[in-house]
Amino acid sequence: MKKYFFLLLTLTAISLGHAQNPTCACFIRGIVKDQHSGQPVVGATVLLIGKNTGVFTDDKGRYEIRNLCPGTYQLEARIVGYSAYKQTIDLTAGHEENFNLQEQEVHLKDVEITAHRTDAPSSQPLTILSGNDLEQTRGQALGESLKGITGVTAMQTGSSISKPVIHGLHSNRVLIMNNGVRQEGQQWGSEHAPEIDPFVATRMSVIKGAAGVRYGSDAIGGVILVEPEELPFNKTLSGEVNLVGFSNGRQGVASSTLQGGVKGFSGFAWRAQGTIKRGGNIRTSNYFLDNTGISEKNFSVGAGYRKKGFGIDLFYSRFDTKIGIFSGSHIGSVTDLLNVIKNGEPFVKSGFSYKIGRPNQNVTHDLLKAETHYHFKDGNRLQWTIAQQINNRNEYDLHVPRNDSIASLNHPELTFKLHTLTNDVIWDHKPIAGKISGQIGVSTLYQYNLMTGRPLIPNFNQFNIGIFWIERYVKNDWEFEAGARYDYRTLNTHRIVSRKKVSNDFTFSNGSGTIGATRNFSPNLSARLNAGTAWRAPNVSELFSDGVHHGAAAFEKGDSTLHSEKALNTIASVKYASEKLTIEIGGYYNYIKDFIYLKPQPDPILTVRGAFPYFKYTQTDASFKGIDVSAAWQFVKNLTITSKLSYLRAYDKRNDSYLVMIPANRLDNQLKYELPELGKWHNLYFSAGNLWVTHQKRVPPASDFLPPPAAYSLWNIQAGGTIHVSEKQQLEVRISVTNLFNTVYRDYMNRFRYYADDIGRNASLRIKWKFGA
Amino acid sequence: MKMNRKLTWMLLFGIATLFTQCKDSGDEVEVDDENELITSVTLKFTESGTNTVTSFSYKDPDGDGGNAPTKFDTISLKANTSYTLAVEFLDESKTPVDNITEEIAEKSDEHLLVYTPNPTSLLTYTYGDKDKNNYPIGLTGTAKAGVAGTGKLKVQLRHQPNAKNGTPGPGSDDVNLDFNLKVK
Repeated sequence: MKKYFFLLLTLTAISLGHAQNPTCACFIRGIVKDQHSGQPVVGATVLLIGKNTGVFTDDKGRYEIRNLCPGTYQLEARIVGYSAYKQTIDLTAGHEENFNLQEQEVHLKDVEITAHRTDAPSSQPLTILSGNDLEQTRGQALGESLKGITGVTAMQTGSSISKPVIHGLHSNRVLIMNNGVRQEGQQWGSEHAPEIDPFVATRMSVIKGAAGVRYGSDAIGGVILVEPEELPFNKTLSGEVNLVGFSNGRQGVASSTLQGGVKGFSGFAWRAQGTIKRGGNIRTSNYFLDNTGISEKNFSVGAGYRKKGFGIDLFYSRFDTKIGIFSGSHIGSVTDLLNVIKNGEPFVKSGFSYKIGRPNQNVTHDLLKAETHYHFKDGNRLQWTIAQQINNRNEYDLHVPRNDSIASLNHPELTFKLHTLTNDVIWDHKPIAGKISGQIGVSTLYQYNLMTGRPLIPNFNQFNIGIFWIERYVKNDWEFEAGARYDYRTLNTHRIVSRKKVSNDFTFSNGSGTIGATRNFSPNLSARLNAGTAWRAPNVSELFSDGVHHGAAAFEKGDSTLHSEKALNTIASVKYASEKLTIEIGGYYNYIKDFIYLKPQPDPILTVRGAFPYFKYTQTDASFKGIDVSAAWQFVKNLTITSKLSYLRAYDKRNDSYLVMIPANRLDNQLKYELPELGKWHNLYFSAGNLWVTHQKRVPPASDFLPPPAAYSLWNIQAGGTIHVSEKQQLEVRISVTNLFNTVYRDYMNRFRYYADDIGRNASLRIKWKFGA
Repeated sequence: MKMNRKLTWMLLFGIATLFTQCKDSGDEVEVDDENELITSVTLKFTESGTNTVTSFSYKDPDGDGGNAPTKFDTISLKANTSYTLAVEFLDESKTPVDNITEEIAEKSDEHLLVYTPNPTSLLTYTYGDKDKNNYPIGLTGTAKAGVAGTGKLKVQLRHQPNAKNGTPGPGSDDVNLDFNLKVK
């Protein structure tokens, strides 16, 4: 499991002026060091946020960014294996003349950087959502927030349930690391969204491609890292309040954080955070969707202690949501479904309401984590993380039981209780000859599931142990990485068949490997290549499903003889970053052996609700290949155009056919105008953009009730800025409108596309008040 | 280091506490009944003016999935003959058997039975009961067999809570069965 490696880095920022150019000849330079070892950090990226300027640190950890105009800049240091660090640097401060005319030190500051390691494989593309990009998504669900990342889309059930999709893979094929702990909910369900409050995180990162060695099973399509900021050790009280309002659903979100140290107890820090969200019926372009409200109450508390090389962190979070499911999506039979498709819009009409009735989901997720680490004097480091998660999911059907006395109890028709205990011990060995670093880890997972209500999945106990070893070798402009892992898993299931308990035992084992290289050709140009494997054992729903999936009007049957699926992913990317232009091009080929999917069967299954199309969990060999391109070009001063292309082709190799539920290709363009300063405002921006999603033509023939929807194009606008209220207080304001022209559209990856249009115009206002340090 | 050791012990204690919560999920497997389950649908045709009852059934005792339905009769009626048609729904997976017909009768303002012959010349159905809002129910009624021929009789139980308006439109199917129909 992921761990925190709290490291202090020292960054010195010096800004100097040159005489040649009176306006834009400032530069920032400094050194990036690993404070624990005191060694310079080679190959770290130092970026000016929003300027598309970035450089790498040289072999002595030094960097220099030239030709800067006076102004306020946000400097970010990113180091592979560490989290990004940000610092605002004021290059104006009334010194314009001075530093424009002569070489003079106008800004010198020692900045303590506290970063935690992400442990992402260095040769795999890692996309980080933080800063303004993250702030612009505040108030949205996790899956929605990540949609702006190239290669990442979302699988939706209406507008309130959203699951991240990386390179066409989702659910049990995408692993989410929540604050260093693998998120264990009922991930197998397509309408089971990740139980995470995005406000906990100050950055979300996506590792694309198989990363099974470091993260264990399920990391087939990629890994999402949800990370809070490092606790504020040795800092004073600070905090923030976020208020978000959405016009669609008349949704309001309030979230606040308070954090600080404790006087007289140095080395101690704490943080408390909470979020409340409430929304009503969502409106498509032309009509409301009945019962699509949401209510969410989340909080988290954390505390930590540091002394010399020793550190301990405790964290507890609770996620509590109640989500209404569009009542028009309940269908009893295939006839019902065909009727609503024919009608073109839902039969159930509704106005606006905040009421959440049946059908609905009530989900709570508790996470308790303790992590401790110790840096040995010789450079070795040991870390131990334990975490317990309790996922409690209650699903209420549209209809209460006919029997009044049972109905009055208002019990959920489905209840899942999943308890998970994870344990990770990781040893980072001391660097060998200053060139080789590595880590060895043991991860265990113990899990049990209790299910009541309508039989859907069995109760089970699961135990997993994984051992991994990764080494990294850095020489000059090259960085090599190789690793291996072995996992062993037992699964015991218990279910009722014909009123008798039937137990089954399974064991799975798997070896994974990764090998990769990074080459920095110049401070502007770098390339990465990685080949990695990952695996996933069939989950209980794939083994034991046996019934009608009412959302999909399909009879789904599991197969208890399924074996593990294994992915071999090759991913290559080239990145060019200069002051005015940033381009990143990545290509991937993910070959998944024994890919588990629902295969249509020739004969339907007869039930009392009529005949349903019959699907059986089957294995095939599948390939997912695609290209991600992102480019940002500042073609005129302050004006930047950003383009992101996600292109994917998935194929069923064994049956020479396409696969279902593969996201359509998409192109996202944004034009952004930035004003560093205007009156009281700082970092002002205005942007307009378009998202174009193509028609998914590549689907297996006759596999669906409705062909994939047509291509669509959505426009959006944003604006925002910061006001410095006082030295220690600032106010950030952002407004945006998505689906500006209230376009009618349906998305192939939205499971409600059979019943209703997708969400209509949505205007939002985000206010963030930051105070303290 | 003393502090560290204390904290380490605390952690160990924490784990011990966590482990005591682990349990065998196999101990808690309960037979849980699906409240909405209907395993048996029986159409009882009583020939007018007689006491001759002919019953035709669909039976799937273990519900959806598992074993296939054990019984799905072909309805056989005499041409140009009038019948009283009563329908019975049971959940035979439970002990004692759960009579769903009674529950439908109690909540008759939320349910509607729809009988659709194909071709229509085979049978004409007339509702024989009404709910408190004066909308038809269809638990009892009259079925008049038409000319000789073969086809299908679709029997739907529409569940229409808070939406019943006398038409099949609102709600969703609780039962949707196409019986083979033979009129001779």
